[in-house]
Amino acid sequence: MNDLRKIEEEEKKWMERARQKKERQERFETYSGIPVKAIYTPLDLKDHDYLRDEGFPGFPPFTRGVYPTMYRGSFWTTRQFSGHGTPEETNERWKLLYKEGETGFSAAMDSLTFVGLDPSDPNVEPEVGTDGVPLYCKPAVEALVKDLPIDKVSVAFPIECLTSAPVSAMYFNVYMERGFDLATCKGTTQNDILTMSIGYVQYKSLDPAHLLKLACDLIEWCTADKNVPKWHPINFTTYNYREGGIDAIQELGFGFANAIEHIEHLIERGRKPEEFVDRLAFHLSAHNDFFEEIAKYRAARRIWAKLLRDRYGIEDPKHLGFRYHIQTAGSSLTRQQPMVNIIRTTVQALAAALGGCQSMHTNSYDEAICLPTEESVTLAVRTQLVLKEESRIGNVIDPLGGSYYIEWLTDEIEDRVWKYLDKIEQVGGIVKALETGWIYREMAEAFHKRRRAIETGEERVIGVNCYVSEEKQKVEVFRTNPNAAKIEQERIKKLKAERDNRKIEELLDKLRRVCEREENVMPVVMELMGKGATLYEVCDTYRDVWGEWKQPIVF
Amino acid sequence: MDKVIRVLISKPGSDGHWRGSVTVSRALADAGMEVIFGGFQSIPEIVETAIQEDVDVIGISIHSMAHMAYAKQLMDLLDEKGMRDEFLVLFGGIIPDEDIPKLLELGVSGVFGPGTMTDEIVEHIRSKIIGRGG
Repeated sequence: MNDLRKIEEEEKKWMERARQKKERQERFETYSGIPVKAIYTPLDLKDHDYLRDEGFPGFPPFTRGVYPTMYRGSFWTTRQFSGHGTPEETNERWKLLYKEGETGFSAAMDSLTFVGLDPSDPNVEPEVGTDGVPLYCKPAVEALVKDLPIDKVSVAFPIECLTSAPVSAMYFNVYMERGFDLATCKGTTQNDILTMSIGYVQYKSLDPAHLLKLACDLIEWCTADKNVPKWHPINFTTYNYREGGIDAIQELGFGFANAIEHIEHLIERGRKPEEFVDRLAFHLSAHNDFFEEIAKYRAARRIWAKLLRDRYGIEDPKHLGFRYHIQTAGSSLTRQQPMVNIIRTTVQALAAALGGCQSMHTNSYDEAICLPTEESVTLAVRTQLVLKEESRIGNVIDPLGGSYYIEWLTDEIEDRVWKYLDKIEQVGGIVKALETGWIYREMAEAFHKRRRAIETGEERVIGVNCYVSEEKQKVEVFRTNPNAAKIEQERIKKLKAERDNRKIEELLDKLRRVCEREENVMPVVMELMGKGATLYEVCDTYRDVWGEWKQPIVF
Repeated sequence: MDKVIRVLISKPGSDGHWRGSVTVSRALADAGMEVIFGGFQSIPEIVETAIQEDVDVIGISIHSMAHMAYAKQLMDLLDEKGMRDEFLVLFGGIIPDEDIPKLLELGVSGVFGPGTMTDEIVEHIRSKIIGRGG
């Protein structure tokens, strides 16, 4: 048994000795600005209660992990966000990744798919396939997953609210046409308002209230209406907000505030949280501050369980688990000395694994320069293989649990996130924060702060503001298919020649009426995509009925 | 007193990686320049805004790898209007080193990728604008 008084006495002696040597910095803090001491001891955990604050994996508050066996049962899913050129070329890349050890697919879509356009718009035509795979109609999705075992391997579509219904509907139709039952369909639609408004700013967007409506349409139709019960119809992608330069506290704060907004919207529709909360998923960042990130994942699980229990009265533990994918931080990668990115990614992936993620994307070392080559992405997959197969980190669950520092930091992060959630609530929640521009100001401040930190040298970045060398990039630059726009134009032309255009017109009219009455768009969008409507036709109907929204960006 | 340098920062196409454009806008404003944030604009809209706002610099932020296509469209349109020398054109974003000489050949004055210290951009603009007698 610890004698706290004795520890305090010994600590004093240590302090005296430690003070004799000057420390290399005046103050030490985490990436999120939490001041940290030189050492943590049982004195820092005086109010800590093991069963209340940590407990066992698979049991509330899930601090130590969301499943009882964690990686002793099965490892996290290796899921690389990947897509380029055309669906056929992306299909080839996916086959390579699968052969190399990937265990889940994820479609990186081009910016036209993201915003519900196609090459018929000359302003965006040069971007067809340059930054992802073009998925403008169902035949493209068919080509994307051709010959892949989609009944066994889950597929993620990181696409947001504006386009989430038609893109998911294309996939669901393809899944059924391949002879499978939607009851077995596994995967994820990102469907995240904040990703498309602050993680990435969406061209030709809708207003936040309609984005929320569309997000909830997909959630409701898949879960509460039981159409695709194993699907994750939303993935709150705090990764994308974090990439802007906000800290770990804001990352979780924005993510949970966003989830609250969706839960409450669905409750207003008459749905019970138990009908959908266990299908809500998250996608977090794995950033540079190793211990802070691990504590962040542990705190996130605890906050989610408490939030659902205390705010929504959900008691059954099966609804309280926080499941998440992680991506190593793209914004930490540099174009200078690009091979160093392999090491950054490895350290971040290790933090993610020690933190207990369910799914992981490791960035390729060339991503500050171009889309990854086959060689770089294979190496990224193998980084995860080394962690899984060689490092033995999966042998013991939550191996850092019980560390004085980790437990103290987990508690500290939790406390700060609750306070930040109060702050967001005071500005009226996420939709209000978008409408009024509050959240854009928070983001711009974060951009500015990080730029200053790097320019003043307060944040050290190897090869950028310290240990700078003259060496030039020595990486092969990956180029996407220059004919992609032509190929996709032909695909759409062929589709329009073969489909029943009168039926499409009729269904688009129906969609218009559904939008005007603010009903759930999913049933008619499922029919539209199945019969060969294009993504653009659906999204343009939304824009026509509801109008476009210009984000209140400040700098 | 020196004329205040006016800069338009815009994003052609539909790529929404906005952090670079906002970060550079703020840095240039902090350095005393007047920044017009164009956000998403097509190339004709960018040129139209540049003329109307009487800017000295057009800054293009792009992360979709379509930089060559948009640079060509922009320089062609400026040529068509006989206005190539009216503006200093800068590009920023995810642009491979090997494309930089090609952009400069098209008439782009400078290309600034991730990890650029914003002072470099400020210095570049000042030296070129003063060099032109602007």
